[in-house]
Amino acid sequence: MAIQILLNFLIACIWMFLQSDTSTAAFLTGYFLGLLIIFAMRRAFSRRYYVYNIFAAFSLLAIFIKELLLANLSVLKVVLAPKIKASPGIFAYETNLEKPWEITVLSNLITLTPGTLVVEVSDDNKILYIHAMDMDDADKAREDIRNSFEKAIMEVSR
Amino acid sequence: MRRTNRKTNDVILQTTVQTVFFIIVIYSVHLFFSGHYTPGGGFIGGLMTSSAIVLLLLAFDVKTAASILPVNYLYVTAFGLLAAIGTGIGSLLYGMPFLKHWHGPVHIPFLGEIELATATLFDFGVYLVVVGVTMTIIQTIGETE
Repeated sequence: MAIQILLNFLIACIWMFLQSDTSTAAFLTGYFLGLLIIFAMRRAFSRRYYVYNIFAAFSLLAIFIKELLLANLSVLKVVLAPKIKASPGIFAYETNLEKPWEITVLSNLITLTPGTLVVEVSDDNKILYIHAMDMDDADKAREDIRNSFEKAIMEVSR
Repeated sequence: MRRTNRKTNDVILQTTVQTVFFIIVIYSVHLFFSGHYTPGGGFIGGLMTSSAIVLLLLAFDVKTAASILPVNYLYVTAFGLLAAIGTGIGSLLYGMPFLKHWHGPVHIPFLGEIELATATLFDFGVYLVVVGVTMTIIQTIGETE
């Protein structure tokens, strides 16, 4: 993915020099042409066309903002409830992600979402220990994490 | 409670530091260069740079941080002092009093006319001394068992 972005920058720069025009407009024109050229040559790269990854990153950002709002609303509900009914606890979550940055992003997302908090990562980076505000929802939380965050992060790094 | 030396998995801290480090360093350089017209300068810039290195020390251990940045901070301090004294002695060469500073437009290729001041070199000396002294203090304390 990084190779494709660099190549696109290089194409844009070559375009600027060919035009003898170093303005932003010339750069953007060259960048757009580079996008088309790389799209045409996309089978020559080992990774997929990088614009998909950029869209995936934006959708991850959208998921993050949505979950952040929901998280704070649900905490508001717990705080304002007359009786504390929640039963806190810690559960393990096995992740399929491997790279350190993926695990970091996943645990930061888990921490910022409703009722869950990453306490510890196991030494082999396979299991996240998550503190849940309400243990009754642990299975549901596990499913949510697997279906929304982990999927979205995998989509970005694919 | 007995103190255990069990090492926990710091993957989250280490990955975060790997990205945050560069943001702090570029911010400290910005602070250093903004010192002339806006708040900032060599002192706060140097402190910010050394705080970035301290963050490295916190996330990794002393040995790893030393292998990432193989710098003897005593030399950094000495070089900073040399830079500060050098700007003072430079003015003597032009028949000016000690530490008389000069500023004026300089033509640099690609960048055009830029107003440069020798006070920046003095500030750079301050920057290096602050980085050197802070890191020497922290490393010395950190290495003693």
